[in-house]
Amino acid sequence: MPALTVQLADLQAEGPRLDVRLTDAAGAAPPVAVDALIDTGATVTVVANQIVKQLSLSPMGTALVHTPSSTHVRCYKYLVRLVLPNGVGLETIAIGTPLRGQHIQCLIGRDVLRNAVFVYTGPTNTFTLSF
Amino acid sequence: MVPELLKKEIKTYNAHKAELVGQSKGKFVLIKDDRIVGVFESEMDAAHQGYERFGNVPFLVKQVVEVEVPLDFTSSLLGV
Repeated sequence: MPALTVQLADLQAEGPRLDVRLTDAAGAAPPVAVDALIDTGATVTVVANQIVKQLSLSPMGTALVHTPSSTHVRCYKYLVRLVLPNGVGLETIAIGTPLRGQHIQCLIGRDVLRNAVFVYTGPTNTFTLSF
Repeated sequence: MVPELLKKEIKTYNAHKAELVGQSKGKFVLIKDDRIVGVFESEMDAAHQGYERFGNVPFLVKQVVEVEVPLDFTSSLLGV
């Protein structure tokens, strides 16, 4: 089971962030490097609309979305491929939305975590993701 | 948001919804324009079939359900 361990300066402040590369499912588009956050509060993976545009993705569905500040917002779904820093590639169906915040362009949701072991080790500011 | 890019496909789904719910509840339907291309066991299978047949253009993969359940996000990062 390939494992990836990331150590951050302040895991509590930054959250479990990692650099991933995103591309279309066919791997035809040049990969885009994004700052991703593992989000156990996200039902599925989210990709910022600006990245969707960069990758020239076409929608393959829609989803209704509930957030703390909105309900029943309809968003497009896209088939995407994520490549983790250790080279593990994962295909998933993500929704596209605007993402607030200065850096985060992707939320890795429970659709990816359903096949993973995710270990958050606060005292050492590390987290490990295994597939 | 009105899903303009999939307007035609959603119209097709709605036109066939009763019949789809009766025959394929819980499965995933692949629709392009006004045509129901097929029904699949998984969303990923339907999406792959869509990309194989049509390439990187809009098409609709939708779970056949009576009432769509929203996806939940606890993060305030989503700008919607």
